[in-house]
Amino acid sequence: MEKKQFKLCVEILKRFHKAGILKDFILIGSWCIYFYKEYFSDVSYTMQTAIMTRDIDFLIDQPEKIKKKVDVPELLKDLGFVTIFKGSQGYIKLDHPDLILEFIVREKGKGSNKPYPLSKLGMNAVPLRFLNFLSTQTIKVKVDNFYVNLPHPANFALHKIIISKRRTKEEKATKDRNAAVGILNALIKKDENDIIRSVFFSIPKKWQSRIISNLESFNEKNILNILNI
Amino acid sequence: MRGVIKSVLAEELENSIRMKKEYEKALKKLPEGCISVKKIKGHKYCYLVKRIGKKVKHIYKGKMSKKEIKEYEEAKMLRAKYRNSLAQVKKQIKFLRGTLRGKEAV
Repeated sequence: MEKKQFKLCVEILKRFHKAGILKDFILIGSWCIYFYKEYFSDVSYTMQTAIMTRDIDFLIDQPEKIKKKVDVPELLKDLGFVTIFKGSQGYIKLDHPDLILEFIVREKGKGSNKPYPLSKLGMNAVPLRFLNFLSTQTIKVKVDNFYVNLPHPANFALHKIIISKRRTKEEKATKDRNAAVGILNALIKKDENDIIRSVFFSIPKKWQSRIISNLESFNEKNILNILNI
Repeated sequence: MRGVIKSVLAEELENSIRMKKEYEKALKKLPEGCISVKKIKGHKYCYLVKRIGKKVKHIYKGKMSKKEIKEYEEAKMLRAKYRNSLAQVKKQIKFLRGTLRGKEAV
């Protein structure tokens, strides 16, 4: 990752923090892997397995609870971000040569391909499946003088394993799998097998079987052993 | 692993091409020129300085409100940012196209 890319990411987080909205967001996606290095500071943790793109995604777990009105495109305009409308449904993304910012919410019920309006933030969000898995257990990581919410690495990794098989592009599935396996192995090194197990057994049986079958197809016997399967 | 890297690069190329279009569009939307304030006999008068063809023209605008002047100043700042970003995106496109065109090892 380039230094200026990281600097820009921190600047965005800082502005969200100052505006009082950072606490409503959970940073998800490949940027988590970078920020987990603090969590894994006591074990060897390499990010080689993670190929980071410019996408930086924020999950808003409870969009209806956002109290403050903050125009996010306006907040980041002077950094050179432009607002784009993606696809026929008009999902809003904020583009910059170094980063692409997007908001995501949990998809509820039958689901819909329409964006979820975030009127208080001057944005909309993409509804996606299985995201409550990421928000059920989070950790806080210190960046500069504030804290960023991230999904617990166990939740993040098991979520990646679930979605890897749903990917239409095989390369993306491989990327998900590599990231997930890398994080699970770091958790094992950190002696957090119990956490992996407790997260695994806290999710619906259907999701559990999806994880098992995916891990079997990846031939990840070590991780399957941890899960006592 | 090579497949993963290639797909990430292809995705990034797609993103950069989209960004190029967006920055060009954003630049077109900004008001042209910048405001120059001249003080004549104690009074402030505004001129819009813009390039028309090869020449730089000073177009008399008279008295302008602070808000209008601020809008032009903001546009000037954004234009510089967007031009910078556009140049960066063009470099990315060139680099990514070249990388994706590269021959794979046998």
